[in-house]
Amino acid sequence: MARITVHFEPDGKTVELESPATALRAAELAGISMNAVCGGEGMCGRCKVIIRSGEVRAEPTAHLSREEIRNGYVLACRCYLDGDATIEVPPESRLEGAPRLTDEDALRFGSTRVLVGEHRPYPHDPLSRKVLLTLPPPTLDDNLADQERLFRELRREREIPVMQMGLAQLRQLAALLRQNDWRVTATLGRRGGTVEVVEVEGGDTSGRNYGVAIDVGTTTVVAHLVDLNTSETIARQATYNSQIQYGEDIITRIMYANTQEKLDRLSACVVDDINNLIAGLVGSAGVSLHDVTFALCAGNTTMMHLLLRLEPSAIRTEPYVPTALAPPVIRAAEVGVKINPRGLLGWVPAVACYVGGDVVAGVLVSGMARSEKPCMLMDVGTNGEIVLGNKDWLVCCSASAGPAFEGGGISCGMRATRGAIERLTMTDGCRIASYSVIGGGRPAGICGSGLVDLVAEMLRHGDCLDRTGKLSMSNGSSHVREGEDGLEFVVAPADQTATGRDIVITQADLQNFIRSKGAIYHAAECLVERFGLGFQDLDRIYISGGFGNYLNIREAIIIGLLPDCPEERFQFIGNGSVQGAKTMLLSQPALEDGEAIASRMTYIELSTDPRFMNDYTSALFLPHTDIEKFPSVWKELNRQG
Amino acid sequence: MAIEEPLEKWSTAVATVRVGATAADGGTRGREIVLGGEMTLPFLHFEGATPNKPVVAMEVLDIAPQDWPDVLMKPFADVVDDPAAWAAKCVNDYGAEMICLKLEGTHPDSGDKGPDDAAKVVKAVLEAVDVPLIIWGCDVDEKDNQVLPACSQAAAGERCLLGTAKEDNYRTLVASCMADGHNLIAESPLDINIAKQVNILVSEAGLPLDRVVMYPTTGGLGYGIEYAYSIQERGRLAALTGDKMMSPPVVCQIGQEAWRAKEAKASDEEAPQWGAAEKRGPMWEAMTAIMLLQAGADILIMRHPNAVALVKKAIDELMRS
Repeated sequence: MARITVHFEPDGKTVELESPATALRAAELAGISMNAVCGGEGMCGRCKVIIRSGEVRAEPTAHLSREEIRNGYVLACRCYLDGDATIEVPPESRLEGAPRLTDEDALRFGSTRVLVGEHRPYPHDPLSRKVLLTLPPPTLDDNLADQERLFRELRREREIPVMQMGLAQLRQLAALLRQNDWRVTATLGRRGGTVEVVEVEGGDTSGRNYGVAIDVGTTTVVAHLVDLNTSETIARQATYNSQIQYGEDIITRIMYANTQEKLDRLSACVVDDINNLIAGLVGSAGVSLHDVTFALCAGNTTMMHLLLRLEPSAIRTEPYVPTALAPPVIRAAEVGVKINPRGLLGWVPAVACYVGGDVVAGVLVSGMARSEKPCMLMDVGTNGEIVLGNKDWLVCCSASAGPAFEGGGISCGMRATRGAIERLTMTDGCRIASYSVIGGGRPAGICGSGLVDLVAEMLRHGDCLDRTGKLSMSNGSSHVREGEDGLEFVVAPADQTATGRDIVITQADLQNFIRSKGAIYHAAECLVERFGLGFQDLDRIYISGGFGNYLNIREAIIIGLLPDCPEERFQFIGNGSVQGAKTMLLSQPALEDGEAIASRMTYIELSTDPRFMNDYTSALFLPHTDIEKFPSVWKELNRQG
Repeated sequence: MAIEEPLEKWSTAVATVRVGATAADGGTRGREIVLGGEMTLPFLHFEGATPNKPVVAMEVLDIAPQDWPDVLMKPFADVVDDPAAWAAKCVNDYGAEMICLKLEGTHPDSGDKGPDDAAKVVKAVLEAVDVPLIIWGCDVDEKDNQVLPACSQAAAGERCLLGTAKEDNYRTLVASCMADGHNLIAESPLDINIAKQVNILVSEAGLPLDRVVMYPTTGGLGYGIEYAYSIQERGRLAALTGDKMMSPPVVCQIGQEAWRAKEAKASDEEAPQWGAAEKRGPMWEAMTAIMLLQAGADILIMRHPNAVALVKKAIDELMRS
């Protein structure tokens, strides 16, 4: 073993470490976030770097083209450094750029819902309240103890059957009351069925009480800072879940967390992300961290386990039993989340291993649990979920679409961040007419909504794509060419891109994409039909998920991702997870509704449904083998063809 | 009181496909064969018409068969090296209504013959017999895409059945069929959805569905026949209940699948307890054929003359209403 020095360009960062080590490890030490979505297993091919100087041993990989190998590209995770080296990290290999704030776009569709307040479904009744109290000083006639005196005063205002107070607070109570002439502010936090006097402060601080609602997603973490006195949203921030470096999907992460140390590491990752978000929120809003008294999280069951450091392994194996679905409200500091040191942290309850509190939150926001007529919620994402029902019944299933909609498994795919092609149109002969890039400028890749547009437009224009999603050169389209792995479609040539390389969609990408869209549509169809309904019976179809906001409904129908229903029946609810968490944070009755939704939602395991497996292939077609199910698409494509 | 017979009412019929061009149509076939057109499930004459009877095509290879057991080789011993003579024997001596010429010899592992050789064989067979011809490739897509267009040209105007087109390899074959006036066999791997998808693909590529015959993949008796049967039956039910994309008639590879079974091909020495191979093999093939007839087969591609005779007799009886 020897100490080696590794220099990174264009960052100009240098690190020393023991050899042999991988370039990925060196980058980690240098604080460069690499796009290693497989967790450094050599599977995803995203951590490409260029060796500028130095001796390296690179394992062979199928993820690099001949041209790339000639130019010195290696996979950072499969490349061992034996001596000093200089390594260039190209932009596409970095994990950077905050994800787009999904709610801003949800606003564009007019669907951000404020559910708490007067004339709205839920009353203002936050999970954490500050109450200003002026206690009558004790006398010989009224010689009740300090704690009970405080409780008595609190109960004057409203019925609170079970109240509790921590020893640390109690120890300070006597002095605090007397020093402040019996005028104090009590912070009351809900912990399940009891109310805790979380903190007692001298004087009047009741005007400053804040909470955070957090969507702990597999890919992104979104936090909203709300004023618990007014229900107003003060600031929003989002970031990537930095657990991504240990695996893109939840299964990889559960497998990674096989020791206490690794589980702690995953927890620390997301706790750091949350702390950074909260620090940013309070900073931008000019709020003191001390006044943030409650954090309510919503996330899938795995995210909840990993953050709370609960044993996650049983989630992944039969009979799929998590440690908890509705964990207790804890002190945020117990897991390292930095708000008021005595502040509380709770979770929106989950339904099952694969249906988490994020879905419950989405259902609450959609309002489908209050609807007379049946509605559907489609969460379009890596671990998609479908919920069906109304005020009387709710069923759900998971629709594992894979990461294609978030850019995974697509050679030039990327998440919906700066540089991604998000919209695209074509003219006849499959010629690209226009595209728009998130953040403007040159494109670096294509994201889910761009892919949906691309495939729909290819179907409409010319015959370079058949209905199984196979490319062909038969009409001599200048955009289709023979690539290293068969035919590929050039979306943007190298001289127009940010990476200096062509942005292409390969035959394999298209097949991945079609499998993803087929999985979501087919799960929705199986669920609807299993309950004797058709899509036409649905009053509303709600679309949620980070990807959902940017989706062009018509294009998604053309490719058979969404059912062929009138467009006005579809409604985006944006990030249902964070909005639902926020609603519950601001209103105890909403939390109770959320708990009721979680407990009455029935999880349907589609993988044991023979129909689901038998007819999955019918959805692996554009839009579907049974075109009769897509009458408007049939009409449109035939008019043109 | 008279009891009314409960009858199913079907909304649509199986598509009608004409194979083989006579002089009137610019070809040289002695007669045309019309396939499909059923308006009911197989042979339920009380419920709907079955205007065209299922036909038996006999299999002829372009090279001497490598793996046929003695029982199967015996009837063709004098002709296996001459596809034209073999075809003539099938038609003249054994009553074949069509010939299925299988281009085994073009397979890279069994001769790798080129397109010109294959085209010559096609021409020779067309001259030797006047029944309609099925031309079946070697199932290696790249090779088929070279060989079948040449065969298609060699047989231009004869309205043969050319196959097979698959989900990911159909454009070349569709183009050949359209250029040379042939019909197409659309293959799918025992999957009703893919069967429909291939039909959609070829029809979107320009070939009308009345020029398509489906090959949903056949399973032999004892070796998955129930699976093949139910896929075929589901397809037929779809065709009769309005699914136009599932309406083409169906072809079955009876001989090929039946003779894969050890019960069919084991010799007397290998399996004396199973009875004489001479009878056992043909019976196995005939049983496979008769079962798939009940699932709606329109063309049966068969091998042994005795099996052919049994099945033709059964068809005649089944067609009697």
